[in-house]
Amino acid sequence: MTAVATPSRKRPPFELRAVGLRKSFGGVEVLHGVDLTIQGGRVVAVLGENGAGKSTAIKIISGALTPDSGQIFINGQEVRILTPRDGQALGIRVIYQEMTNAPTLTVAENIFLGHLPHRYGLVRWSETQRRAERILADLGVRLHPRSIMADLSVAQHQIVEIARALVADARVLIFDEPTSALSPEEVEHLFALIRRLRDEGVAILYITHRLLEVPAIADEVVVFRDGYLVAQGPVAEFSHKRIVEAMTGEVYEAPEHGHSRDGSGIEPALQLVAASAPPWFHQVDLEVHRGEIVGLFGRLGCGALEVGEAVFGLRPLRSGRMIILGQEGQPRGPEQAKRRGLGFVPVDRKHDGLLAGLSVTENLTVASWEHLASRLGILRRRDLVARYEHWRTKLAIRATGNAHQAIDTLSGGNQQKVVLGRWLENKSAVLVLAEPTRGVDVGARAEIYDVLKRLAEENIAILIISTDAEEVLRICDRIVVMSDGRVTDVIPGHLATMARLAASAAAMT
Amino acid sequence: MSTQPYHSPVTLSATLKKGKARVRRFFAGVSTEGMLLVFLAIVVAFFALKSEYFFALNNLRNILLAVSVLSVLAFPSTMLIISGNFDLSVASNAAFTGMLFALVSEGGKGNIPLGVAAAIAGGLAVGFINGFLVTVVRVNSLITTLGTLAIFRGLAKILSNGQTLRVQGFDWMGKAQLLGIPVAIYIMLGVAIILAFVLRNTVYGRNIYAIGANAAAARLVGIRNHLTVFITFLLTGFLGGVAGLMLTSQLTAASPIAGLGLELSVVSAVVLGGASLYGGRGTILGTILGVAILGTVNNGMILIGLSSFWQEVARGVILIAAVAFDQLRVTVGGNR
Repeated sequence: MTAVATPSRKRPPFELRAVGLRKSFGGVEVLHGVDLTIQGGRVVAVLGENGAGKSTAIKIISGALTPDSGQIFINGQEVRILTPRDGQALGIRVIYQEMTNAPTLTVAENIFLGHLPHRYGLVRWSETQRRAERILADLGVRLHPRSIMADLSVAQHQIVEIARALVADARVLIFDEPTSALSPEEVEHLFALIRRLRDEGVAILYITHRLLEVPAIADEVVVFRDGYLVAQGPVAEFSHKRIVEAMTGEVYEAPEHGHSRDGSGIEPALQLVAASAPPWFHQVDLEVHRGEIVGLFGRLGCGALEVGEAVFGLRPLRSGRMIILGQEGQPRGPEQAKRRGLGFVPVDRKHDGLLAGLSVTENLTVASWEHLASRLGILRRRDLVARYEHWRTKLAIRATGNAHQAIDTLSGGNQQKVVLGRWLENKSAVLVLAEPTRGVDVGARAEIYDVLKRLAEENIAILIISTDAEEVLRICDRIVVMSDGRVTDVIPGHLATMARLAASAAAMT
Repeated sequence: MSTQPYHSPVTLSATLKKGKARVRRFFAGVSTEGMLLVFLAIVVAFFALKSEYFFALNNLRNILLAVSVLSVLAFPSTMLIISGNFDLSVASNAAFTGMLFALVSEGGKGNIPLGVAAAIAGGLAVGFINGFLVTVVRVNSLITTLGTLAIFRGLAKILSNGQTLRVQGFDWMGKAQLLGIPVAIYIMLGVAIILAFVLRNTVYGRNIYAIGANAAAARLVGIRNHLTVFITFLLTGFLGGVAGLMLTSQLTAASPIAGLGLELSVVSAVVLGGASLYGGRGTILGTILGVAILGTVNNGMILIGLSSFWQEVARGVILIAAVAFDQLRVTVGGNR
């Protein structure tokens, strides 16, 4: 293993060519003979809905899956990549969405996990430290190499993941939705870094669901659908419309702006007046009416998430007022918030949302067990399954098994529908959703937006906390923008533009 | 880059992958309970072949009586383990409450109902202390109950001056029979049925699974995690008191070393029964089968004349084998 890439370094020409990749699971072919070529010095955006075959193809290239047939050539030589180790030996590294590091160790140890600099069997701590510092500086992040991983934010975790791949001198870097947890500045840093690595001759595969990122970062686009590679070419030839049409196979209508509804005049379902919880947010005024979808937009760390947590009683207000459905006062905890008609979809679905190992039915009904039980607290399985089936149809939850299959077996989008369904079953009148479509593919995302619009029509008040401008532009009736803990702008949905959102989210307060 | 260096490991790993698929299908198809049932059948068949006395009705009664105290402790412990907690103090609780009974009832010569009440109150107190420390002070449950394990064993010795106290006129919870079956067996079955129902069909029971599966998520959907766990510790404490009475009744004596080390059998039975030490998974039925396997092996080994030392070895082997097999189901079969 050599040291981390330095800007001066230029790698020799490199080409990876996959020919006729086929793969079946349980007798069903999911990849029907895909050809894919990637070259050093190019960033290829890999697009497609979940289940389109892009993950399968990427996993074959990285060695996580073995193809049923097909060949892979590197610089014209056939290679066989049957395990991730084979892939790594050939310089193919994946930055996974899930964190795969050691939380109790330091940043530096994580960066060099398995490859600590050593001499005579002894770890060379000063060199470890120095090299970690240099890599982090390269990434443009202020992160101390001796910080403990567990104390870091999601964004910082990801930086360490990327740093770790760079240490291994990768020739092909595969990014799997790397920006889903990053703030706009961090995204800019990452893009700058990706561009530099590209210029040094690294081949980059960039998987994303955020289509707006594509023109900003990609040189080429490949689109998967139903196990075929349906479109590929230079990014200049791919408009937003053409990408979406290639992904869905349907003619695309431009997203309508929020179904603006003027809720003023009626008493708001959720109201915050000069609410403060230093150091997270200060003097926040916010109103969400019944039948309205309000976006609380800002960069990561702007305080919007904390406002949502405060509404659900997870973070006490220092001063200011909170009124929920006409009742004054902040809930003292989730249990009380629930009783007052609130529902909360947390930002970290895996750690705070899913009851891992339990069934989809239990995951969907868990917030409503008290209502669904008899007076003695007895639950009937049949009742629960009936409720699950009801929401499965209504929310278009795609589950291959029965009502007792474990939640873990569903895709991200469908898990999110279950978590959302939890609060619908509980008949919550005010929903607070933190990043409702993070890690959700384009198709399921559109379905979730449809569900939210229908819910608004059914007179539910919805507050969406999001760092995704595309998302708030697409569905919100009103967008409240925060920056540095304060509200900097309130924009009616039909007047909102990407530029104004970006400006307000970066406004100094 | 030549293809050669990758060739030999490749064919090997390809073969391994093919073999793995077959193994995976096998493991994914079996439920924990089904597996335990097969295992129990093997154990029963083995001892039935080795000893002619094994299949006697009398012997079945012996096995059930021998595991009755273990069961009454293992069932609530199953609930705690599903919630992601532990109670190692259950056996000390039983010794302590048995001693309370003997002292208050004056060895069975005085007021027996008062003695029973004292034992139950003592058990609830142990549960209260454990629950308070775990849910309010937030001490890890393993550490808390390791502490109370020592404290209540010590208190039992202090109360009796380290002596064993004879208890007379109190055998209804032990050997006394109803329709030819010892009352202790009815108590065991009653606790099993009630707790199985509670765990499976009540909001409280399902909340226990939710907390064990993901405590943060459970809290965010409005479940009162601490209250639920606290109640489960109280329940465990209460049944520790019941077990103390049963033990005293069976031994016709209260000993400060009664049930010494029984907590390990409890954990063995629960884990053998398929409960996950990480929480979120387990059933009373599984624990029943776990207890049945332990009880049958102990009994069978006595019948074929093996020393009690070997029984301890066997218990350890069974526990490790069962957990290792279960772990294989998770890692290889990919199901939980």
